[in-house]
Amino acid sequence: MRLPSCGCCAIAVRCRFWESRIDMPLIEVDNLSKTFRVPEREGGFLAAIRSVFNRRFRQVHAVRGVSFCVEPGEIVGFLGPNGAGKTTTLKMLSGLLHPTSGTATVLGDVPWRRHSEYLRRISMLMGQRSQLQWDLPALDSFMVHAAVYNIPKDQYRQRLDKLVEMLELGPVLKKQIRTLSLGERMKCEICVSLLHGPEVLFLDEPTIGVDITMQARIRDFIGDYNRRYGATIILTSHYMADVTALCKRVIVIDQGRILFDGQLEALSEKLAPFKVIAIDLDADTDGYDFAALGDVLAKEDRKVKLRVPKGAAASVTGRLLRELPVLDLTIEDPPIEDVIGRAFGGSSGVGPEEETSAAESQGGDR
Amino acid sequence: MTAVARSFFAFLRKGIAVMLQYRGEIVLWAIWGLVNPAVSYALWSAAAESNADGTIAGFGRGEFAAYFFAMMIVGHLTQAWDTYEIGHLVRSGEMSPKLLRPILPIWEALAGNLSYKITTLAFVVPMWCLFAWLVRPTFDTSAWQLGLGLIAIVLGAVLNFVLNYVFALVAFWTPKLDAMGELYFGACMLWGGRFAPLDALPDILRWLSGLQPFKWMFAFPSELIMGRITDPSEAFRGLGIQLAWIAVSIVGFRALWSVAVKRYTAVSG
Amino acid sequence: MARGLKLMWLFIRVSLQNLAAYRFDMYARIGMAFMHVGYELLGVWIIFNRTNEIRGWTVYHMLVLVGVFRMVAGGIRIIIVPNMRLLLQDIHNGKLDFVLLKPVNAQFLVSVREFVVWRFTDVLLGASVALYGCVKLTGTVSPEALLRFSVTLTAAFAIVYSVWLMLATACFWFVRIENIEMVFWNVFEAGRYPIVIYRPWVQGLLTFVIPLAFITTVPAAALSGEDSKIVPYAPVVATAAGVCMLLVSSWFWRFGLRRYSGASA
Repeated sequence: MRLPSCGCCAIAVRCRFWESRIDMPLIEVDNLSKTFRVPEREGGFLAAIRSVFNRRFRQVHAVRGVSFCVEPGEIVGFLGPNGAGKTTTLKMLSGLLHPTSGTATVLGDVPWRRHSEYLRRISMLMGQRSQLQWDLPALDSFMVHAAVYNIPKDQYRQRLDKLVEMLELGPVLKKQIRTLSLGERMKCEICVSLLHGPEVLFLDEPTIGVDITMQARIRDFIGDYNRRYGATIILTSHYMADVTALCKRVIVIDQGRILFDGQLEALSEKLAPFKVIAIDLDADTDGYDFAALGDVLAKEDRKVKLRVPKGAAASVTGRLLRELPVLDLTIEDPPIEDVIGRAFGGSSGVGPEEETSAAESQGGDR
Repeated sequence: MTAVARSFFAFLRKGIAVMLQYRGEIVLWAIWGLVNPAVSYALWSAAAESNADGTIAGFGRGEFAAYFFAMMIVGHLTQAWDTYEIGHLVRSGEMSPKLLRPILPIWEALAGNLSYKITTLAFVVPMWCLFAWLVRPTFDTSAWQLGLGLIAIVLGAVLNFVLNYVFALVAFWTPKLDAMGELYFGACMLWGGRFAPLDALPDILRWLSGLQPFKWMFAFPSELIMGRITDPSEAFRGLGIQLAWIAVSIVGFRALWSVAVKRYTAVSG
Repeated sequence: MARGLKLMWLFIRVSLQNLAAYRFDMYARIGMAFMHVGYELLGVWIIFNRTNEIRGWTVYHMLVLVGVFRMVAGGIRIIIVPNMRLLLQDIHNGKLDFVLLKPVNAQFLVSVREFVVWRFTDVLLGASVALYGCVKLTGTVSPEALLRFSVTLTAAFAIVYSVWLMLATACFWFVRIENIEMVFWNVFEAGRYPIVIYRPWVQGLLTFVIPLAFITTVPAAALSGEDSKIVPYAPVVATAAGVCMLLVSSWFWRFGLRRYSGASA
């Protein structure tokens, strides 16, 4: 269905020369890199004195040669551990950072030229930082935002009413931001960043720190907004559930490089050389050595779950059917957070332990 | 006692490390202590020069230079700023972990105070020399005056630190208000003799300044060092009064501290 | 331009609402403003109790200067200090990104986002003291003097704003210097009195290198019509200095911004 990303770029380039601009991807990133220079110092008293005289620097390659394209109306999920380069990439696309090398075009403009027409058409939400005025009711911050973006009065009213309805913000509009719960505040942040009707949305951790029900609601809203207005969205999140629920396509980044770019379903195939085989047994099989076939993920009564290398899946299945009284057998891809976690090396995977587990239980709820 | 001493030196080491880390900023804070006496010197020496005899209250240009040079040093070494600080600590909640420690927070504040003064010396001493070279103060100081003057600086520093801390405790009641810092600072300027030598004040103000402790933090050590106090008995009496005010301040701290902490735990607990 | 003014007015309105939320603080601080002026008047009284004039500056000249000093200090704290503090905070915790995402000139936006409205007390008190001194001195306030005063005072604000913008911009390089405003107050301290009290070479320094003379002494002298004694053609020179400073600081800001976004190494 979807062309692989490099192909899509190649086609886009051709389109620009021979065909109409309509087929051009909305976001086109080619070989984008960003390198920072950061001072470093060890802790302690002597090190403090030493650093007075001689500062040492370290090169940090936050993003190294990233290329991809995004079509209008797509929702793309960025996955990767902390410091993988997700936020840096988003910052370059929203014009906050100049790349060290490479090019990017968004909405036909170069983001870091920071044309105000461009800025008017995009929005960036940073879940970890608030752009609302702490001591004021949300409504006042919205008003300032409307003035800064020069949104006509009636259009502002109309959009605000719509967003307030969709986000169920009515009761909190007139409360001071500092009195709101984190979830309510996040909804206000989302509302303010959508007031000017952006065509492209960069959402950096839009659900961070919010409780599970609120996460689900924010997620529903984002999906709804995308369907209703056809906005193009790039989203990063610690929570797998955000990505699995919203994004058909994911881009996995680690250490500044793209590990995977494609359909969510294809992700496990590409990154996980495993299958999960689940069997229901007709009789007890005490003493049967499941461990010889693969990793035993779960074993209770007559249900067993095994993880086996992809290549061995067929032979293991055959053996199980032959040797055991199998009632039912399914072969599945491993859960996505497992895949990502393994791809980034063990449990340090997608995020802090408790966040991953929160995402899992979330998945269970659905 | 040894536990307190050990904690104190740990705080001091940490304080110095922090100050070195923020060396750029602490230098900026120290500059004010250089500019303010220099400006006062310029003002008063220009004013004295406008008078027929070229003096004000026995201060000629050279004496003003000596007075404000001494004040520059004394002001730096005896300063304290907790009236500005504690309100912030209470507001931001940083006070709570300090109260959990088995040592009074005042010791950490003292360590911070000392580490600032120690680390800034490398910057201010050359500046003091530069100022002295520019304004050529006329000193008339003998060894005993200098010796007692150094003791008076130490006592003045202790007095200012403790009294400032006592006033800072008001923050436990009205943490939002930074007014106490301003009030205390203004008192140091006027009654402490940092704005003008106390002898140059109108009589009524000079009399009022004698009733207050601020003079003993700044004016007294400065006048001793510049050699204006010529009578040893007067100098010793001054040291005695400094000690008395220190005692009063410590008693005030003891009395107020427990009330303040009770208040803090009642409100935020 | 009209849009800019509209935006500024909106920020002022929002600040006023903010003020209402902390009413008690406001009363206390207005009280402090009176205290500050009180201290300064006390200072003038103490000096002129001992002398009649200082290098041609009488007690009424000094009152005008004290008033102007208060006005300028108040003006700085109404709009310049709060915005530059906010800017430093934003640089520190990464929120400057939000400003840069807005489709409005970033320098304008960072300069007008916050107003500390109650500081207007300082301006009113200062103006009262300055006018009192001026009337005592010249018997009247002539329109010409008022015009000269307005021009030089506007130039003074342009200079002060430029200095602050440059100081704040320096934080793109030295992120940790949160107390950078001390640099300004340290120098500003020397403008508390007329620059004539300093030696000639210091006066030259404070006029041509650090343009402190233009911030307090020149506007004060302009109100009593004596500005040309401080700097020849004072209104013209002050305006030129103000425009130059604005251009330089704006260039420096853009340079810093490029560095912030990594456009220059």
